[in-house]
Amino acid sequence: MTVQQALRNRWVIVPLAIAVILLAWNGYVALNDGGMVAGRVVDRNGRAVADATVILLERNFVTHNERQRTKSDASGHFRFSGNNNHSLQLEAEAAGLGRSERVVVRLWFRAQNIVLVEPLRFAGQLP
Amino acid sequence: MPAHCSGSGMRSRSTYLRHAALTLISGVMLVPFYWVIKTAVTDENIYAYPPRLLPENPHLFNFVDVWYLIPFPRYLLNSLIVSALVVACNVVFNAMAGYALTKRFPGRQAILLVFLSCMLIPFQATIIPAYLITAKLGLLNSYLGLALPLLSTIVSIFVFKAAFEAIPPSLVDAARIDGLSEGRIIFRVLMPLSRAALATNVVLSFIWSWNAFLWPLIITREPSMQTLPLGLARFLSYLEDTTGALYAFAVMVLAPSIFVFLMAQKEFIRGLTSGATKG
Repeated sequence: MTVQQALRNRWVIVPLAIAVILLAWNGYVALNDGGMVAGRVVDRNGRAVADATVILLERNFVTHNERQRTKSDASGHFRFSGNNNHSLQLEAEAAGLGRSERVVVRLWFRAQNIVLVEPLRFAGQLP
Repeated sequence: MPAHCSGSGMRSRSTYLRHAALTLISGVMLVPFYWVIKTAVTDENIYAYPPRLLPENPHLFNFVDVWYLIPFPRYLLNSLIVSALVVACNVVFNAMAGYALTKRFPGRQAILLVFLSCMLIPFQATIIPAYLITAKLGLLNSYLGLALPLLSTIVSIFVFKAAFEAIPPSLVDAARIDGLSEGRIIFRVLMPLSRAALATNVVLSFIWSWNAFLWPLIITREPSMQTLPLGLARFLSYLEDTTGALYAFAVMVLAPSIFVFLMAQKEFIRGLTSGATKG
């Protein structure tokens, strides 16, 4: 069988296409599996909440257990590193504002770097 | 209107009707597959009433859950190794057995009779002796042990036998005169002319080994040697409330065998029908 004949054979083309897709996917994963989770904490009106405690919970089979805590900065941003899970939950708590709603974050692969599009939002508002 | 036009119009109408009926029947037969896929891409409760026809907020994260919550890659690797062993051995052993049965020799009819009789015995009835033999060979909890009962299957031997009998004997005689050994006659002359039988062997042996549950359950000792169907049962016992993930697992288990079937379906159907008319 020549190369040209092989490239017209579905038993060659399809496995080859699958191999290329798998390689590309694994390359993408290798470039984006730093375990970084970042986002922002805001109050009901969208104003940044500084010094809020953000809790990261990771899935442990059927339950979610707390894994890390961090504080938001003056602009409300927070950042976790070293996440090694694919299914997370995030919530924030701050004095006078209580707790934010818990946000479910599902990733395409373990330790995927992600910046949350929607901020963690408190029901209350800053004075 | 000329008679032939009217006849052709009726023919095309009946063709349309036939195709419409076949499409409808195909649609009905595909409903369970659709339902499995629909459930796999949602988090909805399958017992909800009334049931939804279209998925609500579909996503693929159930597949990610399956990949990471259990050792799915390990199960997949085990299933692939066992299926590859089964397919390779089926092609070689069944071709050799099928070729032998095309020859005239004393006791041939008795062998055919024994083969046909053995097809009537369910695997469950022979599982204890099969287990004891595998244990004596020291193959428990091994890939070869997992593949052993499926290394050659009688149905597939008959598929090869029918395909080889359809090839003119003069071709085999010519090959023998040219100095080819019996092995080379099978693999260099007969096999290339029996692609349909070959595809049938590949598809059947792959699907049988891929879906095998009872035998792997009995002979595996460690979770690391389990195959995908066993992983599915284990997953069900762990996560009985997460229907979406369970169905996603079912899709991931089924996908390779459906894929192999779709790849070889043309030859597979030709192989089965040739076996039906020539056997």
